[in-house]
This record gives sequence, C-alpha cells and structure tokens, in this order.
Amino acid sequence: MTLRARSVLYGVAGVALLLLAAQLIGQFGLVGKTWPPLTEVVAFLLDPKNATLLGNALAATVSEAAAGGAIGIAAGIVLALLAHLVPVLAPGLDRFAALIDSVPQIALAPFLVIIIGREGTPVVVVALAVTFIVFISTNSGLTAATRQHQDLFTVLGSPRWDRLARLELPAALPKLFDGLALAAPAMILGATIGEWFGAKRGLGVLFVSAMENYRIPLLWAAAVLSVLCSLIIYGAALLAQRAVARRFA
Amino acid sequence: MTAITDEPRTSTERSIVLSGVSKSYRLQRGAQLTALQDISLDIAPGEFVALLGPSGCGKSTILRIIAGLEDPSAGTAVIGGASPHALSQAHRLGVAFQEHSLLPWLTVRDNIALPYRVAHRPVDAAHVQELIDLVGLSGFENARPKQLSGGMRQRASIARALVLSPDVLLLDEPFGALDAVTRRRMNAELGRIWAELKITTLLVTHDVDEAVLLADRVVVMTGRPGSIRHIEPIDLPLRVNPELTRAPEFHEIVDRLTSMLDTAKEG
Repeated sequence: MTLRARSVLYGVAGVALLLLAAQLIGQFGLVGKTWPPLTEVVAFLLDPKNATLLGNALAATVSEAAAGGAIGIAAGIVLALLAHLVPVLAPGLDRFAALIDSVPQIALAPFLVIIIGREGTPVVVVALAVTFIVFISTNSGLTAATRQHQDLFTVLGSPRWDRLARLELPAALPKLFDGLALAAPAMILGATIGEWFGAKRGLGVLFVSAMENYRIPLLWAAAVLSVLCSLIIYGAALLAQRAVARRFA
Repeated sequence: MTAITDEPRTSTERSIVLSGVSKSYRLQRGAQLTALQDISLDIAPGEFVALLGPSGCGKSTILRIIAGLEDPSAGTAVIGGASPHALSQAHRLGVAFQEHSLLPWLTVRDNIALPYRVAHRPVDAAHVQELIDLVGLSGFENARPKQLSGGMRQRASIARALVLSPDVLLLDEPFGALDAVTRRRMNAELGRIWAELKITTLLVTHDVDEAVLLADRVVVMTGRPGSIRHIEPIDLPLRVNPELTRAPEFHEIVDRLTSMLDTAKEG
C-alpha cells in the first residue's frame, strides 16, 4: 500500500472510530440524555418533517456566511493593498485590525446588535473575522516577491502599477489563498454566533431554541449541519489553495 | 537567425564610464565596510569586458551600480552620457542575474516577452520566437520554469535580457549555478549569440576560463576593498574559435590570471 493511501486510510479509520464511539456513548446513555445515539440524530436529519425547518436555517446561515465572507475578502484585500501602497498607513492598519480581532466574537455580537440590529449582525461578525485573516495573509503575500524579482522589474524600467499587477499580486496569491483556507472555518462559526442574539432564522437560532426547549436531537442535528458546512467550505478553499500554489509558487 | 543581423540598427551603441566609483556600507556602531575603492573603467561601445575576481570583491556591486540598482557612495557611473536609471527607464538595459528570476507563473514565451509588456510596447511575437530559437529553447515555449533544467532557465533569462535589443548587456555570474560541463557549453553558446549582436557587455564571473574565452578585455579585481588590479586585453579570437582553448597561449593567459587572483584573495 502506498504511503499516501495508508495515511488516507488512517484518517478515515480515525473518523470512523470517533463516530462509532459517539454512537456507543449515546446508545448506552453513558453521559445521560443530552448525548443521543448518532442513529437518532441521522434519523432526525433525514426525516422529511424536519426538512423545511433545517433547510431554512441552513440556507439563512450559509447565505450570511457567504455574504460576510465576500465582504470580508474584498475588504481584507483592499486594506492590504492600501497598507502596501501607502506604507505610512501600514502600522496603524495592522494595530486596528489586531484590536478588532482580539475582541471575542461572542462579546462583540451583542454590541453589534445594538448598532446594526439583529438581522445585520451575523454578516458583520463574519465579515470582521474574515477581513482580519485575509488582511494579514494578503499583506504578508504582497511582500512575498523575492528581491531578485524586484530587481528584475527595476532594471526593466517598470512603472509602479506594472510592478504591482505583474509581480506583487501574482506573487501574493499563494498566501492570499492560504488566508482563505484559514478563514473558511470562521465563516459558519461567525454566522452562528452572530445569530445567537436574536436573529430570525439560522442554525444559531436553532441552537438557542433547541437548548431552551430541550430538543436534544434538533440540537445535535444543527451541530452536525454546521460541521458539515464548515468542512465543505474548508475543503473547497483547500483545493483552490493547492491549485494556486501549483501555478504561482 | 540572419533576421537578427539584418534588422536595422535601432539601438544607439553606448559606452560605460566609471569614474572613481566607491561604495561603502555603514555598519553598527559607526564602523564602515568599504566594498569598492576608487574604480575607474571605460568600456567602449560594442566591447565585451569581463570582471574577474574572488567572491566578495565587489564585482557584483559594480554591476549593480551600472544597472542602477545601487548608487555609488562616491564617483559616477555614466552610460552613453546618461545615468543608469535613465537607461533602465528607457528600457534599453538587459540584465541576466545568477538567479534566473523567471516568473514561475508564466511560460517561457511569456517570460521572454515580459520586457515588452513592462515597457507597454506591443509584443513582437516573431522576434520572441527568433530569440527562443537562438538560445536553443525551441519546443519549450509553453513550458513553465519549474519544468526546465538550470541551464535552460538561464538561457531563457539571457533571451529575456536580449529581447528589446538593449544598448547594454549586464551578466552577473549567469552560469554560476550550473555544473562545469553545462557551463562550458553555455559559454560557447553565449559567444556565438554575442557575435551576432555585438552589444556593449559586462560579464561578472569568478571563472577564469569563461572570462578569457568570452571577453575582449579581462579586468582582474582584488579582494575587499575591491579595486582594479590588472586589465588584460585578449587578442586571441576565442569567441569565434572556441577550439583555441586547447592552444598553449590560452592556458598561459588563464594561468597568469589565476595566479593574480590567488594573490588577490589575500589582498
């Protein structure tokens, strides 16, 4: 068996063991009623009666994550370009970004609810987290071009704009996509936390409602959906990152 | 291949004049490191000069000053009556570095055509193809640098340096990272290419054979602080007759310059 096939097998085996353990803990009630058997959670997910509820919540959270993600990526890139082209702004932007990011999202969200309202908060929470991650990675990427390449563009008599478009931006892409892979898990999480404080729809709302009404299978179903979504987004980001690294690194 | 020599001479031949060039770096606690001391050198238009010296003698610094990548601490570098910066701004300078510096995301063809794009001129695809054939990279036009050997990447780098028919060609140990056999082959190729183009050229190298084979004059430098120890005119027509490297005259010159380098290292 090849090395690669073996490591994939180990990964699959590990996940299978975890799922088996989760099932057994639930089946024998080892930690009480709050941990149901996995089969019950799966049955809840597949039950057509729950389809609308879960479907609407999923759609709401994913669309917030997508919107917040798009805004965050755009803002992160713009701010990084600004810091790169106007160096005097760079330290200030760095510190401001770090400040925003250092406030825990769960503390920031109620504050945002007051300023922006319940409906806009999830998108803003996601956007803030993604902006920070993309800003840091893009900023780092814009200085990734080697000194030799910069010298090349100098002796070619390159105007500033050509240097940026033909050298610095392509050279930044690997790190930018590294940042996207890092930001991917933050998107669903941010949207869920943003919904916690009174949004109308979403997986976060399901969490809160399930906890308050002691609907255990619903709680777990919402959790499974969050994890699956995050994994899909992360997987897509990882594929993109590999393709970019192959071409640009 | 004949198309290149039939091309109307659009470039103006330029001389390189270094007058009293010195370069010092300030270190911590006020100490000074003098890399170059009082370098004066005239390179005539169309002349091929080799700068020969031990590692760290500042020869690459001279090349970087002529390329406009660094400014001298004292003295001037004048190229065809203008500053080095003016030459690169006018896109009339061709440089091949020791690191090939090909952009990894572009094909060979796009890498060689890059100077056109940076100069905002329409790409002359026929001329690019001519150069690809001239340096022996036919068939590899759409390859990425990752897929090429070291020798092939350097050939692409030299083709890129030549694509805008520059007035001045600077070569900074372009074959330094290659093995001996490939290096000899590349020396012969460069001699052949240069014979067609006759651009004012400065080659920086620590390889004595290479310097004597390719240059009209060899400038031997001392160690830090770098200064000119000796200038040797090469009368043997080695570029066009590389088989003359077997002649005793060639070995005599190489031995003499090598011994000068040896004592220069202690300087």
